[in-house]
Amino acid sequence: MILNKEYYLNRFSVTENTLEELCAEALKNGGGYSDLFFEDSFSTELMLRDSQVGSGACQQDYGCGIRVLSGEKTGYAYAETTDMPSLRAAAAAASQIADGTESNPAAVSASNRYFGKPNPGADRYPMQGDWRVARSSLFVPFLEGIEKRIRAAEPRTVKVIAVLSSSVSDILMYNSYGELKYETRPLASINLTVIFSQDGHTEQNHVSRSYRMGTEFITESLAAELAAEAVKGVDEMFAAQRPKGGKMNVVMGAGASGILLHEAMGHAFEADHIRKGQSIFSGKIGKRVCKKGITIVDDGTIHANRGAVNYDDEGVPGQKTAMVEDGILTSYLHDRISASFFGVAPTGNGRRESFRYNPIPRMRATYMESGADGSLQDLIAEAGNGIYVDQFANGEVKIGEGDFTFYVKSGFLIENGRLTMPVKDINIVGNGPRALADIKAVASDLRIDDGTWTCGKEQNVVVSCGIPSVLVSKLTVGGD
Amino acid sequence: MIDVREKEIAEFALRGALEAGAQKARVTLIKNRMDLVSTLNGQLDKCTSCMDRCIELTLFVDGRYGKFSTNKLSRESLPDFIARAVETARMLAPDSFRDLPPQERVQKNAVTGTELALVDSRYSELHPEDRKKTALEACISGKPGHELLVTEEAEFSDGIYDTIIMDSQGTFCRHTETSFEYFVEVTVKDADGNLFSAYRWDESPFLEKLDWRSCAEKAYLKAVSSINPARLRGRKCNMVVDSEVASKFVSPILRALNGTSIQQHSSFLEGKLGQKAFSEGLSIIDEPCVPGKSNTCMFDDEGVATKAHSIIENGVVREYFLTTYSAAKLGMQPTCQGAVRPRVKGWPEPGLGRDDILRICGDGILVTDFNGGNSNTATGDFSFGIEGFEFRKGQIVRPVREMVVTGNLLSLWNNLTACGSDARECMSKLIPTLAFSNVDFSG
Repeated sequence: MILNKEYYLNRFSVTENTLEELCAEALKNGGGYSDLFFEDSFSTELMLRDSQVGSGACQQDYGCGIRVLSGEKTGYAYAETTDMPSLRAAAAAASQIADGTESNPAAVSASNRYFGKPNPGADRYPMQGDWRVARSSLFVPFLEGIEKRIRAAEPRTVKVIAVLSSSVSDILMYNSYGELKYETRPLASINLTVIFSQDGHTEQNHVSRSYRMGTEFITESLAAELAAEAVKGVDEMFAAQRPKGGKMNVVMGAGASGILLHEAMGHAFEADHIRKGQSIFSGKIGKRVCKKGITIVDDGTIHANRGAVNYDDEGVPGQKTAMVEDGILTSYLHDRISASFFGVAPTGNGRRESFRYNPIPRMRATYMESGADGSLQDLIAEAGNGIYVDQFANGEVKIGEGDFTFYVKSGFLIENGRLTMPVKDINIVGNGPRALADIKAVASDLRIDDGTWTCGKEQNVVVSCGIPSVLVSKLTVGGD
Repeated sequence: MIDVREKEIAEFALRGALEAGAQKARVTLIKNRMDLVSTLNGQLDKCTSCMDRCIELTLFVDGRYGKFSTNKLSRESLPDFIARAVETARMLAPDSFRDLPPQERVQKNAVTGTELALVDSRYSELHPEDRKKTALEACISGKPGHELLVTEEAEFSDGIYDTIIMDSQGTFCRHTETSFEYFVEVTVKDADGNLFSAYRWDESPFLEKLDWRSCAEKAYLKAVSSINPARLRGRKCNMVVDSEVASKFVSPILRALNGTSIQQHSSFLEGKLGQKAFSEGLSIIDEPCVPGKSNTCMFDDEGVATKAHSIIENGVVREYFLTTYSAAKLGMQPTCQGAVRPRVKGWPEPGLGRDDILRICGDGILVTDFNGGNSNTATGDFSFGIEGFEFRKGQIVRPVREMVVTGNLLSLWNNLTACGSDARECMSKLIPTLAFSNVDFSG
């Protein structure tokens, strides 16, 4: 949501003149660029546990971060009040990074080649109902209704924990180029944990949804969808076994398997890792990294998506960035610093957790475009024998080596081209570039997963991910 | 440090909550200051200066409960926030189990915040230039003997952390500590251009005790030692877990002892209180109040006094972690919020280090890092990606990668071979090198 300029200036008790003055103050010791990031966030949480909504919380967070860039060096400080003495003190602290002699505005100016200006028509997350003024009691029946649906559908349910979270952030950004950007960012999320019991054994399922939306997020259809997903596959959970491990074909299901793309490839495409020489994809622009027909993007333009941005946290307009096109590595993900370093335009990936953090290259919604190799069934048939992964969880990657490990939340054994035994408690182990190169087929069923994905690289930033069904050969499956 | 005016604001918030309709309330005032200097390849990369203040309000309103926080600490803005908080709490379902802790359980001897002697008097004398100097001196980039180094990224940070808890029953607790930390991650390259990375860090309440000088060298040697790894076939063998990462197999036990997990039937230790669930070699004690030591505190989030106690003794589960709320829900006596500074005791004899344990085990896999995976608190099943080394006859022979260790925590801990006495004092959990037999690895 983008309101008028006066709303945001008043929100933070500043004028355009004071913003200009602060940027100048931050550059008093030299440096080539400075920017200001004002934030006023209000978040709420309601929790249903033991069949009642008996716990609630809300939080206010307010402040301004001030950054100075001197070449690729960063000075950063913030204030939790926006009176001029506090802001001047933060500007002075951030200015420490410059040594008093260096002033090279061209370095960051060179990266100032992007498109777009504030454009309410392009607002990707207009908010119909403002969480800040809504009464929490309105949402209690929504949570209670979800539990009723779950218990009605699945008698093995012993516990339901449902957490509804929301936040609304007013943001104002200004930089030493004189660019002023402002917007309001809503975020709504629900997390369900359901515990089932059968013959003394316990299993649990987690389901979540998150969108950049206002209170219009709360609908009967969402409640029904969540409840149905929460009880899906309970028989398989109790029947699942840990299979034999080894190297085998792996078919990744469409949607949430995209987290592997985010972790194992996406992080290695973030240009700060490239700039520092830490990524296995350093120096590979223009090289083939996977088979023809594969395109991988990072997209900040999906309406109401958790990873959508009207502007990134450096004021650069949100964009859709193709990292791999037709199998060729075409772009890294840039903030202003790395864009300046590589002499390219920033890609709108400069993001941060809050005003307390300086922005760094971060993903938004990362996914692989649909392929032309048929359906999920075709991929399972082509795999012959191996593992089908419905959902991954708890993935981790080493950026330099490219090695990754992902826990398989749910899946099936593939035998003779058919799904057979449900499997659990296994890991898929591999290497990012090798796994990319070993993709044998991509189905035409891209699905973006709308779960509560949060990326934890140095700071927590909300993201989303997606993938069509994909067949990868020769991955290590850790089992018995 | 929290000043008189800020303390008065906290008292103002507590009074305001009661006047707005809460019958009981707790206010937690937190003030932190942190400065950080980052380096990249021996050059200054980033300077950050942070100051945070916030008030957390825990309200008990007409039998209902809510938790609220704000960093807008002016007398003008707080009343509106408190009114909104009380209104929100009133919309919730009553929960008769929510209450402040009884006064006899509350800490009464943490008044100045400095009782545990965790404040370095030199902190206030530290100048921005001192921080830059220390950060740069710690680097190995450009120094001889590091020819394989590709990237060295490091952070030197220091801070002071001050917390006051007060409630409507007269509780007042304060904890103040300084902290100095150095973290470095290095990446090295082998002859074929493959990258290998490793990290090392240290932390202390006192600058003088911070070992920032040797971190980068240790990280470099660790990264170099992992060059040319082998991918081993799956096997069942001994597993030795380095003390740096051994908490991976202890943290799930502590989570499973949490009262909420027990009450929600999502703990593999439900029903195990007082029973022998693990090898007799496993004893975990909590040492929350050792003066001068990192990660200590005399009270928990409710203001309840912490004390030394046994969590697991010779394999027997001695305690669940029960707050006022979770104890009331379970109909049990409250114990503590959780382990503050847990320590695994040495076994079968005290004083063993990693090399001793490798010799005891003979052959197997030494785990020095984890990469992804999962541990299921409800079942105890785990599956982790690992990095480390194959060892034979007590000696490390080659690095390994792309392997997975799987099992169940109860059976793993019943195959315990040894617990060392080499836990690093800077860690939040004092877990030494551990050794287990008959562990499943796949690769």
